[in-house]
Amino acid sequence: MSRRGAASQAPGGGVNGTVGLVAKRELRERTREKSFLISTGINVAIIVAVIVLAAVLDSDGTTYKVAGDRAVVEAAAQAAEGTDVKVLPVSVDDVRAALEDGSIDAAIQDGRIVSKDKPPDDLVALLQAGNLTQGKPPPPLQVSTVEPVDEDADAKAGYTFFIVLILYGQLLTYGYWVSAGVVEEKASRVVEVVLSTIRPAQLLAGKVIGLGLLGLGNLLLIFGIGLGVAKATGALDIDGAVLGAAALALAWFVVGYAFYACAFACAGALVSRQEDLQSTMTPLTVMILVSFFLAFAVRDNPDGTLAHITAFIPMTAPLTVPPRIVTGDIPAWEIVASLVVTVGAAALLIPIAARIYAGGILRTGSALKLRDAWRAARA
Amino acid sequence: MLELRDLARRYGDVVALDGVSFTVGAGQMFGFVGPNGAGKTTAMRIILGVLAADRGEVLFEGRPVTFERRTRFGYMPEERGLYPKMRVRDQLVYLARLHGMDAAAAGRAADTWIERLGLTDRAGDRVEALSLGNQQRVQLAAALVHDPELLVLDEPFSGLDPVGVDVLSAVLADYAATGVPVVFSSHQLELVERLCEAVAIIKDGRLVASGAVEELRDRGADHRRVRVEVAADDAWVPPGAEVVSRDGRGIVLALLDPTTPDAVLDAARAAGSVTHFSLERPTLTDLFREAVAA
Repeated sequence: MSRRGAASQAPGGGVNGTVGLVAKRELRERTREKSFLISTGINVAIIVAVIVLAAVLDSDGTTYKVAGDRAVVEAAAQAAEGTDVKVLPVSVDDVRAALEDGSIDAAIQDGRIVSKDKPPDDLVALLQAGNLTQGKPPPPLQVSTVEPVDEDADAKAGYTFFIVLILYGQLLTYGYWVSAGVVEEKASRVVEVVLSTIRPAQLLAGKVIGLGLLGLGNLLLIFGIGLGVAKATGALDIDGAVLGAAALALAWFVVGYAFYACAFACAGALVSRQEDLQSTMTPLTVMILVSFFLAFAVRDNPDGTLAHITAFIPMTAPLTVPPRIVTGDIPAWEIVASLVVTVGAAALLIPIAARIYAGGILRTGSALKLRDAWRAARA
Repeated sequence: MLELRDLARRYGDVVALDGVSFTVGAGQMFGFVGPNGAGKTTAMRIILGVLAADRGEVLFEGRPVTFERRTRFGYMPEERGLYPKMRVRDQLVYLARLHGMDAAAAGRAADTWIERLGLTDRAGDRVEALSLGNQQRVQLAAALVHDPELLVLDEPFSGLDPVGVDVLSAVLADYAATGVPVVFSSHQLELVERLCEAVAIIKDGRLVASGAVEELRDRGADHRRVRVEVAADDAWVPPGAEVVSRDGRGIVLALLDPTTPDAVLDAARAAGSVTHFSLERPTLTDLFREAVAA
């Protein structure tokens, strides 16, 4: 049959070629969808808005209550006139207690600026200026704090919040897309055509990889634009720490996604209609939601038992470990061990998912039980 | 040449196929018929490797079918399936590439079939935006776009209007003429009889009959039934025969024992000039009814 020239080609373009084709289709078709472009646009807009708003609010009408050396504080208050910051002189009995409970922001005592944490830079500048107006050339005010200073405490709290929020959103969104994509193929019955020429595992891998790359690209875009805007508005200095935090978020997205995407693919393979998807997907979305809240508990107590336990549970680690890395409250061995556990769990899950997927993908009708799908894939 | 050997498959307690064997020759149009639930779709899915058989094997050109070989088969499933949001040409190129064609060849093949099936104006539309008839054409193109060595179609004619039936028949006949076995299932038995050289009839997962259509009809020729065209009214019909049908030119008689065809012919000749006398051959529909009723 000489006219069948294609027969002499490598069938299926090789295993990797096939997975690549599937992944490329996912990327291409997704990015051509209006809904995707719109939702990405909205995400970016929200991030830009949050950063710009934070920058505006940060320097807008803040009033600092300062106790202690009256002359210096009043001079500072005068210096503050005409700026958008106010310095309000107040009197308190117990400076330390007032600082602790937050009723004052700072105090001038014995030629020092005393505050609970690191005082805001603009307040320090105003107080220094006030001090300079006191006739004799005084030594510049020293800063002392009630609690030990972590220079980047605020920034770190901000990063961790941002990272946890974004990882949570990405895992949920892209996990859902994997499920929805699988169900779309089942519901439209195109899967029977596709599986007559490629293996279920290839289709699964291509879909997971394609959507994962899209999620990674989406994160890069968000970070790129977010960091760019933050730099432009002066909200953030782009340094190694910031870039490190961003890189970390990307890395844990890959790990967390690898784990969850396989599970979401199974959830999709078990049902035949989008309406039934919620039922099989709920355990997974709940897992992600619980991890999200655990991540904040861990952030507040990064060396607690909860922090150490959740680092070794593959479902929770992708959200609970990154905050601890940012705040530096996790030893290197624990990071490595947590990664090994999570990646290992994903690696174990992939063949299981492939089998459940293969067993469920051609079954139609009501939602399948996991066990039935497992059995259906006997060959 | 495609050969099914003793295929069996059950779903739980339900036996879908129970030892089905038949052969489809190169370039042969092969009809696969049977009542609903007889196991046609199961057999086709096994041929395509979408489903595994519990027993038996599928051979193509004398060798067991491998995964690589299957990528060279073309398939139109009963439940039509295309990516609803994907554009027609993109979809065909994608499927061709999944079947192992390189990008350039896939593009050329997609364009060829788009033109051949009159979809040129629709090439850039999403599949979901097409009429059902056009979606059906895209589905056919999807089965053919990679120039398969075997074509398997599950109920390809269902839902088509008469023009669509003609177009599809012509495409399939042309394709078979290139030396490719074409297997399709259908409930439209007259169509199968007209298009197919050979058929397989299955019922309850078992093969009832298979082989060349003409042979099956000859073999099933009912010697108790004759067709007579004679220039006389029905008064000549002997008491041992009953008129079962008639048309403008003749009548079909069912013979009751011990009446023989010879006796009927003698009676007819005595009545007038006989222009036609034949033993009735059953149509495929008759064979089917008989097989299914048994």
